[in-house]
Parts: sequence; C-alpha cells; structure tokens
Amino acid sequence: MDNFTAIALAVFLPFALAFVLPLVEKLLKGYIGWYAFSVALLSFGLIAWVLPVISDGDTIQGSIRWLPSLSIDLSFYADGLSTMFGLIVSGIGMMILWYSNGYMSKKEDLPRYYQQLLFFMGAMLGMVFSANTLQLFIFWELTSITSFMLIGYWRNKPASIYGATKSLLLTAGGGLFMLAGFILLRSITGSFELATLLHDPAAIASLKTDPLFLTTLILIIIGAAAKSAQGPFYIWLPNAMEAPTPVSGFLHSATMVKAGIYLLARIHPLFSGTEAWFIIVSGLGIFTMLLAGFLAFRQTDIKAILAYSTISQLAYMFTMYGYTTYHEPGIGVAAATFHLLNHATFKACLFLVAGIVAHEAATRDIRKLGGLRKEMPITFIIATIAALSMIGIPPLNGFLSKEMFYETSLEMGHLLGGVFTYLIPAAALLGGVFTFAYSVKFIDGIFLGERKKEHLPEHIHDPSFNMLAPAGLLAGLVVLIGLFPSVAVHYLIEPATEGILLENVDLHVKLWHGFTTPLIMTIITLILGILVYTKYDDIGERQDKMNVRYPWLSINYFYDMIVDGAKNKSSVFAAFMQPGPVKPYLVSLIVLFIVLGAIPTFFVTATLIPANLNFNIPLYEGIILGLVIISAIATAVLRKYLQAVIAVSALGYLVSLIYIYLQAPDLAITQILVETLFTIIFVLVIVKIPQTFKETISTPVMIKDLTISAAVALTVLVLSLNVNQGIVAPFESLSYYFIENSVSLAAGHNIVNVILVDFRAYDTLGEIVVLCLAAFGVSNLIKSGVERK
Amino acid sequence: MTTLIAKTVTKACVPIAILFSISLLLAGHNNPGGGFIGGVMFASAISLVYVVFGLDYIMSICNCKWEKFFALGLIISASTGFGAILFGHNFLRSTFMELHIPLIGEIELVSAGIFDIGVYFVVFGSILYIFKSTGDDE
Repeated sequence: MDNFTAIALAVFLPFALAFVLPLVEKLLKGYIGWYAFSVALLSFGLIAWVLPVISDGDTIQGSIRWLPSLSIDLSFYADGLSTMFGLIVSGIGMMILWYSNGYMSKKEDLPRYYQQLLFFMGAMLGMVFSANTLQLFIFWELTSITSFMLIGYWRNKPASIYGATKSLLLTAGGGLFMLAGFILLRSITGSFELATLLHDPAAIASLKTDPLFLTTLILIIIGAAAKSAQGPFYIWLPNAMEAPTPVSGFLHSATMVKAGIYLLARIHPLFSGTEAWFIIVSGLGIFTMLLAGFLAFRQTDIKAILAYSTISQLAYMFTMYGYTTYHEPGIGVAAATFHLLNHATFKACLFLVAGIVAHEAATRDIRKLGGLRKEMPITFIIATIAALSMIGIPPLNGFLSKEMFYETSLEMGHLLGGVFTYLIPAAALLGGVFTFAYSVKFIDGIFLGERKKEHLPEHIHDPSFNMLAPAGLLAGLVVLIGLFPSVAVHYLIEPATEGILLENVDLHVKLWHGFTTPLIMTIITLILGILVYTKYDDIGERQDKMNVRYPWLSINYFYDMIVDGAKNKSSVFAAFMQPGPVKPYLVSLIVLFIVLGAIPTFFVTATLIPANLNFNIPLYEGIILGLVIISAIATAVLRKYLQAVIAVSALGYLVSLIYIYLQAPDLAITQILVETLFTIIFVLVIVKIPQTFKETISTPVMIKDLTISAAVALTVLVLSLNVNQGIVAPFESLSYYFIENSVSLAAGHNIVNVILVDFRAYDTLGEIVVLCLAAFGVSNLIKSGVERK
Repeated sequence: MTTLIAKTVTKACVPIAILFSISLLLAGHNNPGGGFIGGVMFASAISLVYVVFGLDYIMSICNCKWEKFFALGLIISASTGFGAILFGHNFLRSTFMELHIPLIGEIELVSAGIFDIGVYFVVFGSILYIFKSTGDDE
C-alpha cells in the first residue's frame, strides 16, 4: 500500500463503513459503538502510518479521475498541516466514540447516531486532505450538514431544532460565501488546485496585486469565520450545545469548528503578509476573543460556558494566524498551530467531563451543581488538569502555547510600534484573564464549594470505565505534551508549520525559558484573574440586566428577527402560490403557455397563417376529426362525471386512430393502453364522489374561462400550423441524427425505442424515478385520506 | 361487472395479454413496442383481473407487493448505467453484440434492452401500485 492509497482509504473507509453500519448493527446490536470506534481507529492508524514520511518534510499527492470534462479530479494532498488535522480528527474521534459507548443509552437510536458521526468524520478527513478548493468546499458543506443532523439528534426538542437550523444557516451559508471566494480565486489565478497554487510564487504574487484580492479574502474569511464561530457568527455555537455531549465535544470544540482555522492556515501562504490579512483576521480574532470571554460570565449551563470558551480559544488561533506582516511572515503560525493541538486535547476532555457530570448529576445548571469533588474524585482530577491547562498553568500543554501567544503578541506589538506596543499585549492579557475566570468557574461551580442537596440526586459517583477512560487519556495527553513538548513539536507542529509557511522550521519549545516577559504576563494574568473571579457572579448579573434592558445589543436578536421574518414572509408567499383548489394552478399554467406560446407565434414569425395550407382532407380523416370535436365539446358540456369521463376517453381513442393514420404505431399503442388504464382508474375514483358537478358557474367566471380557452385554442392552432411549416424552429431538426445513427450506434430499428433507452436513457431514468415517486405520492394521498376518515 | 362472460373472456385474454406484453418488451428495439408499452400492457391485463374478479380474489392468489417490482426495475435500470462505468465508459453508455445461435440465426444482444426491462418493471409496478391503493380505498 502506497502512501496515497492510505490517505484515500482513511477518507473513504469511514463513509463506506458508515453506509453498511445499519446492517452491522443487526449483528452487533448494542455493541455497534465499538464497530464505530474501530473505524476511527482504522483511519487513525492509516494516517499515523504516513506520519513518518510527512514528518521528514515530504508531501503526498495524488488524484482519482472524477470530472475530467470540468478538469476536476478527486485529489488528495497530505502535508504536515493536513496530517496533523487528520490525526486530531480521527484521534479525538476514537476517544469520542469510545466514550459514547458509556454515554449513549441503549434505548437511543444508536445506528443513526454512529452513522452520522462516522459520516462527519469522513467528511472532515476529506476536507483536510482535499487538494483542490471545490472538493474542499463539498466536504466542508458535508461537515455542516452532518453537524446539522447531529445537533438535531433529539428531533422532538424544539431547542435542538432551533440550534440545528441556526448552525446550518450560518455555517452552510458561510460556506457559500467561501465558494464565491474560491471561484474568484480561480478566476484570478486560473486554478482550483490548492496544492499547485501553494507552490507557485508567481501566481501568489499576481494574486496579491489583483484588484479583487480584498474581495476574495473577505469572502473566504466569511466562510472560515462562520464555521469557526468568529465575529458576529459566534451565535450558532452556544445553541449547538443541544447536541448530545460527545457530539459537542467532537464537532463543536475539537474538530468541526476548527475547519475555519484549518482554512486560514491553508490559505495562509496565498493571502498573508498583507495588511488586509492582518487587520481582518487578527481584528476578528481579538474582537471575538474578548467578547466571547466576557459573555461567558453570564452562562449557567456548563456546556454553554465551554461553548463560549471554545469561541474565545478559537479566536486566539484566529488572532495568531493573523499576526503576519511583511517583516515577519511566520510570527504567530507556530504558536497558533501548537495551541490548536493543545486546545483539541484539553477542550475535548472538558466536554467529556461536562457529559459525565450531566450524566451522573442529571443537571447541567451550574447554579444547582457544586461540591462533587468527594463523590467524583477521579473526574475532579481530570477536569482540574484540563481546566488548568486552559488557563495556562505549568507544566501543562496549555501553558506552553499560552506563553507563545503572549510572546507573539509582544513581538507583534513591537513590530507595529506606537500605541500598539502596549495595546496588543494588553488585549492578549485581557483574553487570558477571561480564560482564567471561566475556567476556574467551571471547576469551582461543579466540584468545589457546598453540595447543593436539594437539586442533586442522592448518590453521585464516578462514571463507568468507558466514560472515564477517554477523558483520562486526554488529560494524560495534556500532561505529557506539557512535560515533553519536543515529541509533539517534532512530529506534528514542525511539519504542520512547514506546511503553512512552506519553508524549513526549527522550533524549540521548552517548559522553562527563564524569567521572560511572557512569564511575567502569565503571573499578571493569574493575579488579575483572581481579582476578576471574585466579581464573577456580579458581572454575570449585570450582563443579564443589560440584556433584558437592551435586547438589540445581542446579535441573536437580529438573527431571530431575520429568520422569523423570513418564515412569515414565506408562509404568506406560499399561501399566495398554493391557494389549494386545482383550478388556479391550471389557469396559471395555461396562461403561462399562452404567453410563452404567443411570443414566438405572434411576434417572431412573420405570418400567422402560412400561405400554402392544404385543405384537401380525405373523408376518413375528416370523420375522425369531426368525432374528436364532438367528444371534446361533450366533455365540457356533459353535467355528470361518468359521462364526462367517457367522453374524454372517446377523445383519447380517437386521437390514437389519428396516430395510426399518421403511421405512428408506437404512439397509437401507447395512447390506447394509457387511455384504457386512465378510464378504469377514473371510474374507480368517481364512483366514490357525487355524480353531478356541484359548483354552478357564474356568468363572469364562464366568460373568463371561455376567453382563456379560446386563447389556448388559437395559440395552439397558430403554433402548430407554423411548426408544421418549419417556420418557428430556427434550428435543424434533431430527428435526422437519430434516424441516421439509430442502427449504427445502437443496433435498433425502432427509433422511438432507441431514443428512449439509449440516446436519451438518462432522461428515461429520471422519468422512471419520477414515476416511482408519483406512485408513492398517490398511494400516500389516498391512505392519508382514509386515515383522516 | 362480474358476469360469467366477463370472467370467461378475462381468463382467456389475460394470459395472452401478458405474453403479448413480454413480446412487446423484447421486440421493442426493432419493432413497435418497448419497455414502456409492454409495462402498460401488462398493467392493463392485471387491471382487467382486478376489475372483473375484484381485489380480494387477487389477494387470495398472491399478495402482490407491486412496490417491490418498481424498486427492482429502478435497480435494474440504474445498474445498467453503473455497469457501463465498471467497463470504463460513461454512465448509461450502451453496447451491443451479435450472437449466432444455431437453428435460430443471428441475434443482436443490446445492453439497452436490459435497461428497457427495468423500465418495464417500473411502469407496470407503479401503475398497479397506484391501482391497488386506489382500489383498496373501496
């Protein structure tokens, strides 16, 4: 197996194995979670297998033919960055799927849950290994869709539906902006291929001077920010917490929300080094970091606290990836990449803890929780390790990347000079203070303090092994990366940074740097953090009051206004478009036909009635046509349904006679058979309804209907006369092609059939699908009518 | 409707009609006919039985799930499309070969014919499915 196959398999196996999951479930029953776990393990193993090649600085690239006519291939590109992401996705996926075995009750719809999780994992892996932007977009939207389905996993809860809809509208909608950006990128550089673009300095240079550079950048950043819940788009993430907790831990902290960060890192070589990049990306990051950190204070749901902390931690990465100027292209990249890895470990761990607490204590409200350290000692230790890492306490991994964040902030401030020398480090420090506050709140609120007996079940204890072990493993990773950073740095961070910066990177990350400025900043953070924490609940209350008094301060207010408004407008529109009775539909169809038919006949063609008409009709043909006219009139005039139906049938049979006369046996047979079936079904139906037309038609309506009918008749008449003369159609008739090629290409003498099953087989396939759907539709309509009775 | 004459005629006609529908299906590539017409013919034949003998009579012989037939038809038609992909051609690309069978002579086997068989199943399956659910209501 070569490396490319390994990558392709790692992406496709989750999809393939998820498709057969319902079948496997029949065999394994309650153990299906372990099947899903082993799928993740398989993907993890495959990616880990190529890691040695990647960490040596090589890249893997290859493609499978997909849409050659559009020159789009299914191509994969693995470098340090995508491999690190791949390992995070499949590795955290393993932990989450393991944990789910303990968390999800056997009574839940497990196949759906695991299937969607595996689909998500496949989509995420496909996204990070995509070598072209269109493929990246497709996988990107797939992750949005699977996220939508997983947030709405409990379909009966209105909050789940609200959260799922919100996340889909914002993330998938943002994805569309990103697609527009990719298309602009293509029109500027001439390529959808990311891998080629990255290694083409000429294309990058031309991109940076292009007038559309800024537009392209903004469009792509909108996609990334929506996905990573940055800026005004952050509002979907707190509502996404309605998902089952393992899903939140997997999608909405460790992986899917990092897709935007991945995109930033991926396009870093194309766009960075410009002022626009710094201002947009870092500006968005700093704004979100402070806003989300601040808003975390008023949250009472422990998962919501984690959601806000995720938003602010992602904002750290945004900020750092944005810290790139002409002078120092790589200033924040290594720090951001390292923080990304660390965040995945400690935040997933914290989510698992939140799940454990909710599972055992039956509440997620931090006001009701408290004092659980004695009953859940192991969980307490795990949670404390992860939370301290988030704060940035040595010797945990969060400390290392937090120090790097301070260091890059200092350097960036120094580079910009002036007031920024202090402003940028101060913003970073403030972000750190907020992080301290909500991290401590998480531990303090759940495990420390008094046990609130009235709200909690009597016996609370550490959970089962399957829930504890993944959380413990992640906490172990937090400590290990903290103590021995060089391993992770050498195998993951350095190759990833090289993938972003496209040059050799040599990083030295150590626990003890000496008594440096960042270390002083950390100490200041701790002191300020303790001060702020004493006012924690106070600040939260004030925020609540502000929110009640000024609801428009919240972005959610505008979101709800827009979405509710759209719902109202669309229901008004729907009521207008679909009034109910059949007649308005028919009238609108017919009027449209008149308008569209009249344009070519009355305006385009010169003559309404062609000059050389042949009125020499044989007697036999004349008799048939006369009967057609009589039965048509009879259909309209007869007052009873049965009579009208028989008149319509007579009309149909007469038309088939005309077909025979015109030597079209296929059409004639079809017409006779369909007419027969139609009559039988019609008769079966009308015996159920009253036999006379109920409605009496008033004179104005009659006049209107007659006018429309006359207009249709006239249009059809003129149109068919002109078609017959070959006047309307400006193109050569297609039928000659079919007549000439039917035998040589398809070995068939019946041209109608050859067209149906060979030349136009695609159409026919579509038609028979429609036929099946129509059959289901009719059957369901009838059955629902019966049930209503 | 269920006179003795109707019953007798139905008994005589329906087998012939079914055979005719199959011949329409198979002859379709070169002569009038084809999957659609054959399918409608088959559906007409069965619906005659429905009308003359009633729903219960058919149910007593076999509880036909017509939806299975049109599902099968869709699978057949779609898989001829995917079959072409397996041989490295575009979706639904057709091919044909000439066979020489002793005593019968030259026969042209057309892959589009298999597609047509799928159409046949879909057409009669869905018509009879509609027919049965309409009749069920009574």
